[in-house]
Amino acid sequence: MLVALAWRNLWRRPQRTILSLISIAIVSGLLVFVLSFQDGVYSTMKETTLRIFDGYAQLQPTGYADDPRLELAIGHPDELVRAAEGVDGVTTAAARVNGFAILANGSRSYAAAVVGVDPASEAKISTIASRMSGGRYLRADDTNKAILGDILAKNLGVKVGGKLTMLGSARDGSVAADVLTVAGVYHSGIPDLDRSILEMPLARAQDTFGMEGAANTIVLGGPSLAAVNRALPALDAIGRRSGVAVRDWQAMEPALRDAIDLKYATSMLFYASLVVVVAFIILNTLLMSVLERTREFGMLLALGMRSGQIGAMVWIELLGLALLGSAIGVAIGAAVTLWLQNQGIVMPIDPKLLAQFGVPSRLYPALTAFSALAGPAALLLTIVVGGLVPYLRVARLTPAIAMRAS
Amino acid sequence: MVPRRLLVTILAAMTAAPALAATPNADVILRQAFANYRSSSSQSTVAMTVHRPDWERRLQMKGWTRGDNDALVRFIAPAKDAGNATLKVGGDTWVYNPKLNQVIKLPGSMMSQSWMGSDFSYNDLSKSEDIITDYTHRLVATAQVSGHAVWTVEATPKPGAPVVWGKVALEVRDDYVLMGETFFDQDMKPARRMTADRVGILAGRPYPVSMTMHPLDQPSQWTRIETSDAKFDVALPAYLFTLSNLQNPRS
Repeated sequence: MLVALAWRNLWRRPQRTILSLISIAIVSGLLVFVLSFQDGVYSTMKETTLRIFDGYAQLQPTGYADDPRLELAIGHPDELVRAAEGVDGVTTAAARVNGFAILANGSRSYAAAVVGVDPASEAKISTIASRMSGGRYLRADDTNKAILGDILAKNLGVKVGGKLTMLGSARDGSVAADVLTVAGVYHSGIPDLDRSILEMPLARAQDTFGMEGAANTIVLGGPSLAAVNRALPALDAIGRRSGVAVRDWQAMEPALRDAIDLKYATSMLFYASLVVVVAFIILNTLLMSVLERTREFGMLLALGMRSGQIGAMVWIELLGLALLGSAIGVAIGAAVTLWLQNQGIVMPIDPKLLAQFGVPSRLYPALTAFSALAGPAALLLTIVVGGLVPYLRVARLTPAIAMRAS
Repeated sequence: MVPRRLLVTILAAMTAAPALAATPNADVILRQAFANYRSSSSQSTVAMTVHRPDWERRLQMKGWTRGDNDALVRFIAPAKDAGNATLKVGGDTWVYNPKLNQVIKLPGSMMSQSWMGSDFSYNDLSKSEDIITDYTHRLVATAQVSGHAVWTVEATPKPGAPVVWGKVALEVRDDYVLMGETFFDQDMKPARRMTADRVGILAGRPYPVSMTMHPLDQPSQWTRIETSDAKFDVALPAYLFTLSNLQNPRS
């Protein structure tokens, strides 16, 4: 009966109720969209950045993260690669040798990271293969070929087809020396990579650096970062059996993680103030309607309704308003978000600038249960808790005083 | 009374005088120690043992130095490493690898890398004299070790000097033999320590014939340098320290 009464009361002042509904709906809808957009942009940023070189996660020898030495190696990478690829959510695992060497072309020489890669699986994990600015990426049948970043190539004064001399330390401390032919030059857009990384065939790197079939890291790829993140516990179990640690994206890209966390924290402040402001507007409206109806409540009390019941009725009015408003908001917000999720949003910003942050120029919001419900839920909670104020006010009324109120 | 007082004074003077005379200032101590170690030129045969938890390597090499800045090291054994050579002239360092048959100039960013897989870096090879020129020196302690005074000299980098270490503490015996060297990182934590394990006589002078470098963050690894033969202040031909000699050794 209280619910029916509350519902009827709401529509006694349709204009006020509709205005309240609209403000709740707009804010809920807006929150659904911004949260989805933010989620979408961040996961795109994460995935684009990780897909360049790091992969969504890596298997590394214990201690390698703190002290990445060539000596710290995975003895039988093939077994681990197969085991990792058997985990649900991981589609590709690629072994790498991470050496360090001087690269020389004539009188020019530069220090660089020399990475031994398996071309076929590497191309599925790292987008470097698709970012060749000259020549081609490594092929499975390459032996003495190499690809390197465009800045490194320019520094060394070497072009596609040219020869490079490589001199470094092997795993046993002896000299690792090799001559490689440049098959291609890549431009990842990340200057740190473009200036410092050379890739060569895995087998040759294992040979040159005296790895005896061992690898330093196994890089993992999957359909999405989320899928690989879900596979982490299973990977951890596999790793523990072979003395190998799993490094997730947050450990590999702490700066990116911190930047995203900071952005989340600041935008949460903004969302919270939005929620609070709207909640106060709604409560203010309700409080006014309660004051207007003091005599009416006095009458109800005189008729024998308990003050607690009247309070509950008022509170239910508020709850109904908030529920209905946020339901409309979520529906509209989700519909718009889903539509944009298909269309994509083209950012009116220079694509080159965005590329520096690993963001493509067309962005897609990502509607998730969290992004759809977190904002409206916060709004609902604030209004419902704030609604205790009018409730308490009504609950204290006595019939004689209330009926005489002007 | 007088003769006795005189006697006491004389005795005191006799015991004090050598001690006073033998405590030169910190700057002189280091210069003398380096002069003793290298002279105006030197030629030596050295064995280097690189110890790691799962392997150990022993390399034989010949070394030549001229003045404070020029050095040539050529590996002669084992066969796998023989022929590799490092040349340092002034501030530049080149390496030669027989497999590539090529001389490569070492980029500055490689100077802190391990030299031939050891616990020494290329910087150790080329920057050892920086201790004298780029640091200020202070005598911080004097100790008696088996009949010798051992001075501890603390070397602190001069402001703006291009150095790797926060400070370096050197222990020099009173006959100018370098007994130990502790390298502190920029946080003033000891990062690695080199000690003289054995002092012998080489070419008529006391010399730390066996020295071991311990990186302090890797307790199970070290590199030992043992000098088996050395000549000092010898006339070395000028061609020795050239790139063409690095690639195609004469003699």
